[in-house]
Amino acid sequence: MHPEKTSHTFEPKVIAFVCTWCTYAGADLAGTSRMQYPSNVRVLKFPCTGRIDPVFILKAFQQGADGVLVSGCHPGDCHYIAGNFHARRRFAVFRKLLEFVGVDLNRLQFSWVSAAEGGKWVEVVTDLTERVRAMGPMTEFKELALEEQWSGVIDTPELKEAFSQI
Amino acid sequence: MTQSIDTSSYSAITEAIQAEAQRVLGDGTVTAVIGYAAARRKGSAQPIVISQADDAARLIFTPACVNNLAVYLTKAKKEIPRNGRIGIVVKGCDLKALVGLMGESQLKRENLYLIGIPCSGVLASTIQPDTELTADTLASKCRECDAHQPTGCDFVPPQLPVAPELEKKYQAEISRLEALTPAERWAYWKEQFAKCIKCYACRQVCPFCFCEQCLCDRNKPQMVETTPRPAGNTAWHIVRAMHLAGRCAGCAECERVCPMDIPLNLLNRKMAKELKELFDYEAGFEVNDKGPLTMFTEKDDQSFIK
Repeated sequence: MHPEKTSHTFEPKVIAFVCTWCTYAGADLAGTSRMQYPSNVRVLKFPCTGRIDPVFILKAFQQGADGVLVSGCHPGDCHYIAGNFHARRRFAVFRKLLEFVGVDLNRLQFSWVSAAEGGKWVEVVTDLTERVRAMGPMTEFKELALEEQWSGVIDTPELKEAFSQI
Repeated sequence: MTQSIDTSSYSAITEAIQAEAQRVLGDGTVTAVIGYAAARRKGSAQPIVISQADDAARLIFTPACVNNLAVYLTKAKKEIPRNGRIGIVVKGCDLKALVGLMGESQLKRENLYLIGIPCSGVLASTIQPDTELTADTLASKCRECDAHQPTGCDFVPPQLPVAPELEKKYQAEISRLEALTPAERWAYWKEQFAKCIKCYACRQVCPFCFCEQCLCDRNKPQMVETTPRPAGNTAWHIVRAMHLAGRCAGCAECERVCPMDIPLNLLNRKMAKELKELFDYEAGFEVNDKGPLTMFTEKDDQSFIK
C-alpha cells in the first residue's frame, strides 16, 4: 500500500510556522487526502503570518532546527486583511539580516499555501526537507550554545607591555 | 599627509547657538535647552541641560560634541518634554533620529525648538577629544554623512558645512563581507559577537530603544538568553539589528559607546542598505507616519517566497 520507506543516516528537524487559516488547513487537507510527506516537519500553528516574530525563527535554529519553514495565506487572502503583507516585508528584511550574519538561506523557506493547496504543502515540505538533508545538520547555532566565553586572543603587544610593567 | 577638515566655522557656530539659546530662554520660548558644554578633560565636551539664559554662554560646539542628544528626550528622560517646549542642539544625524521619534509618536514637533548645526563632522570615539579633526580622526559615520546641513530646524547658524569626499568605510566593509561565503561571515560575526559583555550600552544610548520592557529582558518566554555567552550575544545582536531595521537614523551611537568595539553600526548600515534596495526607504528629515516595516504595498517583492 505505502511506498517503501528509504532509510537515511540523517533525519533533519524542520520547524514549520504556519498560519491557522490557510497553511494549517492546507496541511490538514494533505493529511485527510492521504498524501505522503516527510514526517521531519514539526508544525506550529499561529493565528497569522503577521504574528510570526523573526525571533521565533532564531529561537528555532538555536533549539536545534535544521530548517525553518514559514507559510501562510496568499497575498490578499489574509483573514486579518493585511497580516501577510506586513509579514512579507518583515521577512524580506530578516532573511537579508540572517544572510549577512552568515546563515545559509537555503535552510529558511517562505511560502504561500492556501487551504486548498494540500499538494503544494507536500511539495514545499518535501523540497525543504530533502534540501536540508543534503546540507546536513545545522551546527552553527548549536556550537554557539556550547561555547562558554570569548575565545579571542588577548595577548596584544600593548597588553603584554602593560602586564610587564605591573 | 592626511587630509585635514576645516572646522574654523565651529567657533562661529558656537557663538550663534549661544546667542540663540540666550534669546529663546530669555523670552520664554523654551524652558530648557539641551546642548553641549565643555567637560573637564581638555577639549572634551559633555551634554548639558540649561534652563537659565545666563548659562547659555556655557554651550559649545566642537568636533568633540559626539553625543546624540535626542536620547535625552525619550526613555528615562521622558518627562522632560512635559515641562514645556524644549530647545535641543542637533547635528544632521541627530535630527534624523528626532524625526524618526516624531514619526513614531514619541515626540511632538511643537514641543521642540530645534537648533540645527551645519556640521562638518565629529571625532571618532577612540580619538582623544583635543585632537585636530582630519580624515583619519573623523568618525566613520561622518565619512558617509549625507546630512551635514539639517533642514526644517527653527534656527540654523548661517555657516556652511564642509564635506570632503572620503572613502566610505562602512560601505567598503559591507561589500567585503557580502563577497565572503556564509561560513566566513558567520566566523567573522561569531568573533565579533563573542566579545559582547551584554552591558546593553548600545540599547541605553539608542534613541529608538525606548520600549518600557525590552523583549530581551523578558523571561516568560525567554526569547534571548541574557547571559554574556556567545549564543545569547548573537541572538541579542540579531534582534537588535532587526528591531532597528527601518528605524535607525544612523547616528552610530551604539558603535561609539560599545566598550568592546563591536562594529554595531555595520549591521545597521547593512539593514539601511537593504531597505533602500527593497522598499526605497531612507532615514531623512521628513516626518513619516509609517516606517517601511509598518506599511506595505501589494506589489512588494516576493521572489523569495514559494
